[in-house]
Amino acid sequence: MELSTDQRWDLVERISKQTVEVGKYKATLKDALADLTVRPAIGIPFAIAVIYGFWTFFCEFAGTLFTDGFFVKIFDGYWLPWLQNVFAGAPTWVFNVFVGDPLATNCFEAFGVLSSGLFLAIGVVLPAIVAFYLIFAILEDVGYMPRLAVLVDGLLHKIGLHGYAVVPTMLSLGCNVPGVTACRPLDTRKQRFLAIALLSVFVPCGAQIGIMQGMIPGLIGWVFLALVIGYFAVGWVLNKIVPGESPEILMDVPPYQAPTARNVWTKLWTRVWRFLKVAVPFVLLGCLIVNVLYMTGAMDAIASALSPVITGVFGLPEETASAMVAGFLRKDLAVGTIGMLAAGGMTITLFQVFTAVVLLSIYFPCLATFALMIKELNWKQTLGALATLIVVVFVFGAILHLIGSSGIGSSAWVPLE
Amino acid sequence: MSNTAAKFGSIYFGIFGAIVLIFGIAGFVVMGAYGAEGVSWGPLQMSGLFMVWWSIILVAAGAIYLSSVGNFGNVRQLAKSLAASIMIWIVAGMAIWAMIAGSIPGGEEGPWFNPPADFIATYAPPYVPAIFLLPFSLAIIYPIRSRRRITATDREQQNYAGDHA
Repeated sequence: MELSTDQRWDLVERISKQTVEVGKYKATLKDALADLTVRPAIGIPFAIAVIYGFWTFFCEFAGTLFTDGFFVKIFDGYWLPWLQNVFAGAPTWVFNVFVGDPLATNCFEAFGVLSSGLFLAIGVVLPAIVAFYLIFAILEDVGYMPRLAVLVDGLLHKIGLHGYAVVPTMLSLGCNVPGVTACRPLDTRKQRFLAIALLSVFVPCGAQIGIMQGMIPGLIGWVFLALVIGYFAVGWVLNKIVPGESPEILMDVPPYQAPTARNVWTKLWTRVWRFLKVAVPFVLLGCLIVNVLYMTGAMDAIASALSPVITGVFGLPEETASAMVAGFLRKDLAVGTIGMLAAGGMTITLFQVFTAVVLLSIYFPCLATFALMIKELNWKQTLGALATLIVVVFVFGAILHLIGSSGIGSSAWVPLE
Repeated sequence: MSNTAAKFGSIYFGIFGAIVLIFGIAGFVVMGAYGAEGVSWGPLQMSGLFMVWWSIILVAAGAIYLSSVGNFGNVRQLAKSLAASIMIWIVAGMAIWAMIAGSIPGGEEGPWFNPPADFIATYAPPYVPAIFLLPFSLAIIYPIRSRRRITATDREQQNYAGDHA
């Protein structure tokens, strides 16, 4: 039997009358809380509290408990002496590349692939990544992340993004690689380009944050402030000049619920495993290439070539050129390199460290992120992102140099052990 | 929620909100006067790199409590107090977590794990204000339970009326 459209609608109405109960809905406490947390008056202070909790947990879990509490002891007390012993009879270049400085007493200063490289990857970065993704998975499972997206929707629309862009941005604080992948649900090419360009330039990854937390805990807030200002300022400009649309996206906002251990564990394991597979080899490879560049004298040549820019435009010591080169491979490794250079006798002021860390954060996405950018965008858009990045680096570097010239933060910086 | 619970919530969270607000403002005053080094006063400690952030959170939580006291029986007002309490639980919870994280490892030169005496000593005062506020913020459980009890009774009565209609 074939029904006409009107008959179909009549049937729908009859079925719905028999099956759907219409009554007055009474909001539950959970509904009221869910509603309050997307309204700016309460939602913004609530978000500050959540991010405070996020950050404090991250620092204490990664820094105090695992890195300082156990990994420093394991790597400096057992791993490094064992490596030095095993490689004692090896040729000098093998020792230098894989173990590093023979006189080093800790993995932070040794700078070998298996000493500093492994210490950075496993001892510093891994606990940071685990802490970050654990809290992120809990917030996702509770249902807070979509609410954060709703809360910042208005703000992000000013730079051509949808509130959902907060999810890849937050993910990138763990690792830029899944952050870039998470930009896929954004509707238009313009939005995807904006989100990927901004997060790959202005969002430091968990690895880098972990190193910054260890090296410059007092400056990290200022670094973030500079990056947030850059994120919105450059986003605003890009939104004006990049053609295309930034439409609304309908997003499901689930009710608040208790997180389930199985969900949290699955998300945590998937993301940490991906980090171990993708990022750790890059850390080790980065260390290897930097060591080879040093040994062959190429690093000195690059440093001399870059010194007019490094010292003249950015106001940084010439020696930091090596860190900048290392940053092409891994940004966390580059920040660590500055600490190692300072520990090795390079004179650098507090403001110069701040400038170097900010510039390292923005001047080039790490190799893994860059490779993914080419895949997710196209060559033209990737080159556009790189052009943006070059302009941003020069403008940021020059502004910071100007601020630094006023004498602010001119005391010499002593790296923390 | 019962009238008693609503009245209790209105008065209690009015007073408690004012105290939370005062602690938050005190955090800013101490920050301005002494910087991150802060001060310790008996069992109370106001110091640390994050002082400015927990001060902001306490000021906001205090203000949210105060904004919830009118018509406390309304679910929206109760939710405001709950949101403020969650903010205090986050700050206090993280202060406790920091103590736990610091109490387990034995330090750079020490053994792998802290000996019992040092472990316990980590938990000794002074504490940040949020830890003192934590037990008082748990009073939010009373109006929530009262509301849940009444909602359950309403539902039973509706079901009963439905069955006998």
